[in-house]
Amino acid sequence: MTAPRAARRAFAATVLAALAFAACGDDSPPAAGGDSTLRSTLVDPDRDGFLDAGPAEPLTDRGTPSRLGETLVTFGQLTDTHVRDEESPARVPFLDRIGTPFTSTFRPQEAFSAQTLDAAIRALNAQRPDAVFLTGDITDNAQRNELELALATLEGGRVNPDSGGPGYRGVQQPDSADPFYYRPDFDAPAHPGALAQAQRAFTAEGLKAPLYPLVGNHDVLAQGEVQPTEQINAYATGDELITALDPELLDQLPRAEIDAQRATAALLGNQFFLPSVDVPADDTRRLVGSGEWERAFRRERFDYTVDLTDRVRAITVDTVNRDGTSRARINPDQLQRLDEQLDTDRHAIVFSHNPLTPEALQILDRHPNVVAAISGNSHRNRVTPRGRYWLVSTSSLADFPQQSRMFRLRETADGAALETWMVDHDGRGLAGISRELAFLDAQGGRPQRFAGERQDRNVRLFVNVS
Amino acid sequence: MIRDALAALRARRGRTLLAALGVLAASLVVGTSVTVGYSLATGFQRSAEQAQLPDVIARFDEQPRRRIDARVSALPNLEARSYRFEDLNEDLSAGLNSTGKGAVTTVFNGRRGYKVVEGRDIRDGSTGEVVVERGVAREWDLRVGDDLFVEEHGTLRISGIAVSPDNVAFPLASTARVYVTRAQHRRVAPNVALLWLSDPDKADVTLAQARSVTFGLGKLQFITRTGVEILLSQAAGIVISLLIAFSLVALLAAGTMLAASAHADVQRRLTGLGVQRALGFGPGRIAAQQAVESALVALPAALAGIAIGALLVARPAAELIAALNELGPGATLLGPLTLAAAAVVALVVAAATWPAWRAARRPPVEILRGGDLAKRPRRRTRASATALQPAARGPRTRGTSPSFGEAGSALRGSRAAGPHGVGAPTGRPTSSDSGPHGGGSLFGLGVRFATAARARWFAAVATIAVCAGVVTLMLALASLLERLREDPGTVGKRYQLAVQLDSSQLDAARALPGVADVGERYSIDAADSFRLGEPIRLVAYPGDHTRFENPPLAEGRRIANANEVEVGLGMADALGLRPGSTLAAQIPDGGEVRFKVAGIVRALENDGRIAWIQPDKLLETRPDLTPQVVVRLEPNTDPATVTRELVNLGASLQPVGAAQTDNAAFLAVLAAVLRGVGLAVGLVCLYALIQALTVTARERRGAVALLRATGADATTIGLVLAGVAVAVAVPAAIAGVVLELTVFGPLVSRLAASFASLPLGASAGEIALVIGGLLALSVLATAFVARRVMSEPIIAGLREE
Repeated sequence: MTAPRAARRAFAATVLAALAFAACGDDSPPAAGGDSTLRSTLVDPDRDGFLDAGPAEPLTDRGTPSRLGETLVTFGQLTDTHVRDEESPARVPFLDRIGTPFTSTFRPQEAFSAQTLDAAIRALNAQRPDAVFLTGDITDNAQRNELELALATLEGGRVNPDSGGPGYRGVQQPDSADPFYYRPDFDAPAHPGALAQAQRAFTAEGLKAPLYPLVGNHDVLAQGEVQPTEQINAYATGDELITALDPELLDQLPRAEIDAQRATAALLGNQFFLPSVDVPADDTRRLVGSGEWERAFRRERFDYTVDLTDRVRAITVDTVNRDGTSRARINPDQLQRLDEQLDTDRHAIVFSHNPLTPEALQILDRHPNVVAAISGNSHRNRVTPRGRYWLVSTSSLADFPQQSRMFRLRETADGAALETWMVDHDGRGLAGISRELAFLDAQGGRPQRFAGERQDRNVRLFVNVS
Repeated sequence: MIRDALAALRARRGRTLLAALGVLAASLVVGTSVTVGYSLATGFQRSAEQAQLPDVIARFDEQPRRRIDARVSALPNLEARSYRFEDLNEDLSAGLNSTGKGAVTTVFNGRRGYKVVEGRDIRDGSTGEVVVERGVAREWDLRVGDDLFVEEHGTLRISGIAVSPDNVAFPLASTARVYVTRAQHRRVAPNVALLWLSDPDKADVTLAQARSVTFGLGKLQFITRTGVEILLSQAAGIVISLLIAFSLVALLAAGTMLAASAHADVQRRLTGLGVQRALGFGPGRIAAQQAVESALVALPAALAGIAIGALLVARPAAELIAALNELGPGATLLGPLTLAAAAVVALVVAAATWPAWRAARRPPVEILRGGDLAKRPRRRTRASATALQPAARGPRTRGTSPSFGEAGSALRGSRAAGPHGVGAPTGRPTSSDSGPHGGGSLFGLGVRFATAARARWFAAVATIAVCAGVVTLMLALASLLERLREDPGTVGKRYQLAVQLDSSQLDAARALPGVADVGERYSIDAADSFRLGEPIRLVAYPGDHTRFENPPLAEGRRIANANEVEVGLGMADALGLRPGSTLAAQIPDGGEVRFKVAGIVRALENDGRIAWIQPDKLLETRPDLTPQVVVRLEPNTDPATVTRELVNLGASLQPVGAAQTDNAAFLAVLAAVLRGVGLAVGLVCLYALIQALTVTARERRGAVALLRATGADATTIGLVLAGVAVAVAVPAAIAGVVLELTVFGPLVSRLAASFASLPLGASAGEIALVIGGLLALSVLATAFVARRVMSEPIIAGLREE
């Protein structure tokens, strides 16, 4: 067995198993822009699969209304941007066809992730937030080149999204004869040339507000699930991309639990040959090492506190389990820190990638100054009450509705009110194609209702302290 | 003005009646054409709408409903969905009728995709009932309330009769379809999904998404409404397209006939217009009166003609539609028929008013001197017609009747006269003129009579030529349909036999006497991978396919290797393919194969949506495909003998696909439709001939009376009139044939199948038949008019002199 083949099989075995649950951490919706949905929305009134401009969606009061006072702070949330190197061999897009829970392994719009992030940033800048929180899964596969691409887009300036050799080389290229992949040059709705355009350098606007990031499981784990290993790195930086899957393998894929060993057995025991194509190798595709994200954002750790004003405190909690799996892990030290940071007379807002664990929520329950716990990961817009405060989750840029979220914290006669509304990205250029494809995706955010209901989007959440 | 017009029409009852008959005859053609054309052209869409035919039908191996619905419900652009379980090759029987090819369709809740046209639908949750397809009900004479035995379900009561245009009707389709409820089963999983789309024009988008979520579904196949329509077209052969195209041509012909006829009628009445001008009427008033008069004549005639034409073909058209499993137009046909009537009236009015207005703008004297003929004397000055010029001519001595011989000389001199002799100076008989007693002279006299008024002669010839062209076209059409049914060569096939034969016997088959070549033919219906709504057929031969199928190359070159494809022009047009393009074919079961287009061919089969390849790539994707064995025979070999030998080798005979059904009932209906249209066209021909003869006889009334006064009997008069008839019929027949060969045939071919070259040129036999038929009609018309002429008192004609 040649070294590349061995590496490929090992990688495939590991990732196949791990990715049985990749979608779990990801099976949620997309994000936003262009304008505030307080002014106009994007809807599909004729249900033909294509979005049109719709009416504004005004704020709906939730909780016990109280007289509104001054604005304390405004901030935005971007989450699950999943900036990706869609040409990377360290991906398993061929699992997408199996359906749940692999639906996030390939997306028709995946080649346009950097352009979509740029469009979302432009839209968020237009809202003039005092701060922006980026709540994890900034990249898709924890690759070094994905991190650099995301950073460049967030900071603004010239961005080169291409990887490997010049131009696109991957499963969506026009000469691909695999009909399970959307090929923009031919398949309906056809966008000839879009794939090539997506590889060209562009100038990103960059966030204008201070950025407060968090990492997610996709930022530090291969496909958001598996600890980086040398085998995976070898595969990621190699020149062979697996493109298809033998249907006979279907019954042998573990779907109920993350089980790399079982997947390996299924993969190797079956002695199947997975079709592949040669792609240009790229060393920058190696997976990020320990501390790389911290260094990139010049932070010691991703548990930190920001006092946005003398009346508002933001606390971030790093929920990523670096041993593997997309499930949240908050260790006792983090819980203790959280408890300490909440012990303040400021209004407190907690940010995390995964929704907080029950243990963490119990701590929040004890602090009457908590206004909201805001997370990502689910790709779904959702707002639910928990006691006095609110749990907010926000859609991703990877899936429909590709929205980001704005917040405005206001004083009220009885405490505070957190106003929040969705922001659609501006849809300019490839970002528009990205949203169109995300909406059409039969495994994406539309059928999974990631946009949420009205009460999950533009709402005024009252928090009464008294 | 209407009163004046009515009075004028009453004053010339004969002519009015003749004109009305002309409009009626042409309207007959219009009525039949509109009825056939509209019913068939809109049949599929109308039926699809009424029956709520789904925009997409997906077939697959049985799947738990919940599992398949999870995938289907996620599709974009989806308005509604429902499911079916289709069980094929089931036994059905009722009374003495039975079939082993029953398609028992279990319908789940939701939209049905069929329309109940009699009785009521089966009720979800109830058992013991069945809805039968209308084709089955008609063929087996089943009615609501009758019993039907359905395999696995026992005897069921027929609750309703339904139409679903997703296939042609039984027995044109071999399967007999019935519908039962889900409650008939203890447990049943769907194998068919019906999808209705919010925007059917975006079906490709939905299908692209559907494809991406169908991994692992066995025997998956999508078919869109477009695909269904093509399949139906394939099942019925190219007949429907041809009929619709023929109807359009017949309409065109009828329009020409109407215009020519109306124009001729006005030309005949120019003198009257001159008198009106002389009396002080303005051109506008004259034209308006002409318009009113022609409208008063055309309206009832058009309505009657169109109504009769529609009734004439209503039944066969309905039968044809029923055979296609479509629904009749019903009251919606009234719209097009009314429009057609309005168009006929408008055409007649325009064709009559325009020349009247043109003529009336000239000075009255000029009109009275011969209308537009006076403008072009054409060296008539030396012609001699003194004795026989009709009434408007100058005074002559009463009571001095010329002898028969004198009359004959004078008659010969009338050649150059205008229709009324107005303005044509008198002249003397030429010295070369022979006596009138010879039949040839009388016949020639008739020819001269007919051609003297050039404009009218031309109009009559044009009218009959169009009729003759249409008739020739019908004959060519019938001949083509016959060939399409029986001769595979018509669709480019060079083999005569197709069999299922073990590959080990191929060499033995090749060695049979009379066998020129034997090959394996693979065929699969697929879809264009990038536009999934476009169905295509792939045909593969190892090696050179032109040994067995040789469609003419329109562009590019023949395939040279397994990566290349020759595509039919129909497919190339639908998919925008050209030599050098890539054809990506989505194979049922999920695979995709790609080929480089080497050439484009004119193929008739499958509406031209067919492509020829070598089988290598196809077999990589579908190794389970089994080929048909095709056999090309030596010239003059008896196929039956070779067939027997092949059967001895273990072969089972298969039909050689042509482009036309051989269903007897269907063809009988088709023949009835063509007969209806043919009858209408024949009537127009006869009318035009009678009109030409009548008008000529009327104009030459004096001359004819003179002939009779000098002893001419019915035969003599008949000979003169026969000359008139032949002068019109023969050039018309020749022009008609030319028209068919150069205009109608190519036009119908283009309209019916732009992707192929349909051989619609008339044969020598057909041409002879047309000419012979016209001559026969001429005889008929001559006899009719001669009888009328002979019944008129001689003195009446002489008095006019």
